[in-house]
Amino acid sequence: MSQTINMNINGQQIGPVEVSDHTMMIEFLHEKLNLTGTKFGCGAGVCHACVVLVDNEDGTTSVERSCISGAGYFDGKKVRTVEGHAKTNEQGEVSELSPVQQAFLEHYSFQCGWCTSGFVNTATALVEKLAKHPITKDQVEKTVEDALQDNICRCTGYVKYYQAVKELILKTPGLTV
Amino acid sequence: MKILNQILTSLVLLLLSVQFASAETFSSEQVARGKYLAVAGDCVACHTAPNGMPFAGGLPMHTPFGVLYSTNITPHKKTGIGEYSYALFRQAMHEGKGQVGHLYPAMPYTSYTLLNEEDTQALFAYFMSMPAVNQENLDNEIAFPFNLRFGLAFWKALFAKDIDFEKDSSKSVNWNRGNYLVNALGHCGECHTPRNITMELDTERAMQGNVIAGFEASDITPLRLVAQGWTKPDLESLFKNSYSEKGTVFGEMSMVVYHSLSRLNDSDMNAVTSYLLDSDVPVTSKPIIARTPDTKAPGHNTYVNMCSGCHGLEGQGKPNIAPAMQSNATINRPSLYNSVAVLLRGIPSQKYNATTAFYAMDSFEALSDEQIADLINYMRTAWTDEPPNASAAQVFRIREELEGQGLIGVGSGHAEF
Repeated sequence: MSQTINMNINGQQIGPVEVSDHTMMIEFLHEKLNLTGTKFGCGAGVCHACVVLVDNEDGTTSVERSCISGAGYFDGKKVRTVEGHAKTNEQGEVSELSPVQQAFLEHYSFQCGWCTSGFVNTATALVEKLAKHPITKDQVEKTVEDALQDNICRCTGYVKYYQAVKELILKTPGLTV
Repeated sequence: MKILNQILTSLVLLLLSVQFASAETFSSEQVARGKYLAVAGDCVACHTAPNGMPFAGGLPMHTPFGVLYSTNITPHKKTGIGEYSYALFRQAMHEGKGQVGHLYPAMPYTSYTLLNEEDTQALFAYFMSMPAVNQENLDNEIAFPFNLRFGLAFWKALFAKDIDFEKDSSKSVNWNRGNYLVNALGHCGECHTPRNITMELDTERAMQGNVIAGFEASDITPLRLVAQGWTKPDLESLFKNSYSEKGTVFGEMSMVVYHSLSRLNDSDMNAVTSYLLDSDVPVTSKPIIARTPDTKAPGHNTYVNMCSGCHGLEGQGKPNIAPAMQSNATINRPSLYNSVAVLLRGIPSQKYNATTAFYAMDSFEALSDEQIADLINYMRTAWTDEPPNASAAQVFRIREELEGQGLIGVGSGHAEF
């Protein structure tokens, strides 16, 4: 009724550690690793507040919902959570936010902030993909809408989230052609 | 003021007389009866385009021979069936011959031929009394030689017979009514009965299940339904809410439930469930099978890691999110087609009515054929008496078929960048 798993989270090797079959990934992050930045929203895979990133071997990145995926699903995988995006100094303090995080701050994108870690992860995956596969400027709006459409914000902050990502993509060299 | 009222009244009357030119020839009882029968026959589902006017046609139907478009059956004189006499309407319904000549058997006249005269007349009264919609029929995109309608004459001469519905005197009135609703009006066999090489319904295997549009219309013989533990309340719940203890409705059957089955009156619902279970008295339910999971089985970890978050570690499901896997009739059957199809295709989120909805299921196309076979075998062992004999080769064949139809990976939520 348990599995022994290993994974890489934000560059750090975790495990081997035994998890029970009941352990969803979000519980593993919160209770075993004290990584509480990932938020539990609907618990049913709908709202995407809980998404984490998985860097696949083929160079693609998957956005996975940690509330409905067992910790065992991530066995052997490279995972990134919201704690992994900012730069930190030698004391482990945040010294520089990631461009997506900075853009959300500058645009006052969030209010209560519960959905923010999910938005940061999905938007980060998008920005990284565009760095490899740039798009034309007229495609940016639709690309942002398509990429973020599964992330739900109950404070209805969508506009500022979308504007922040759109502006970031347009002003970052190499993301558009 | 009085004059104005008179003018308005006569204007309204004039409008009505134009719109419902022939309404006066039918009694309101007959029209109402026809309306109910049209619901039971689910005419609207095929004769309405997405977001189109009801009964004005235009729904594309993908057949092995090309695309057929349903036709306008409102009483518009030019684009609909406004010029049809009752004799011609009867001929279309019972013999598959309309104004354009022989009809493609997408129109289920091989079932409707069983309709009695009174009901055919009531349906005619209803269609002729509804508002006429001016909408041209679309040209079918059928490949040669199947585009030649006279060819249909040969098919029909062989397979389509104008036959009358025969009551089985050894059965109850209720059962016979159910038979009529299922086989004549409901035309359930058009999907649930397999077809042979000539596309004729294979009556030897009536209602034994048939793959259509990438899902299997289930085996709904009494033998199978009783073996799966269906009861009348289960079937009634499925037909009213698209949901029961035995699982949810997905694919094209959702539309059948929405437009037709959920609107049957109580006595007809009872007739249908009595006929399907071949029993006028309540059928006893079977206890739910819930074995201690085999944690060593190869499908165990896949289920725990990728399925249990929604469907529950014990397969108990989550209300209004994901149906239970325990006692789920899709798993509890010898055929693994729908289990594989659901895993590979995913299911879009479904809102059945004000209180019943289920969230979208991802496509799990990244799982290998072997992983899928193992997963199905794990679920079979845990919650059914079916032997765990699903094989990777079987999964491969179904995957290949679905891939050929471009049906893999429609679910949502599992984004990749």
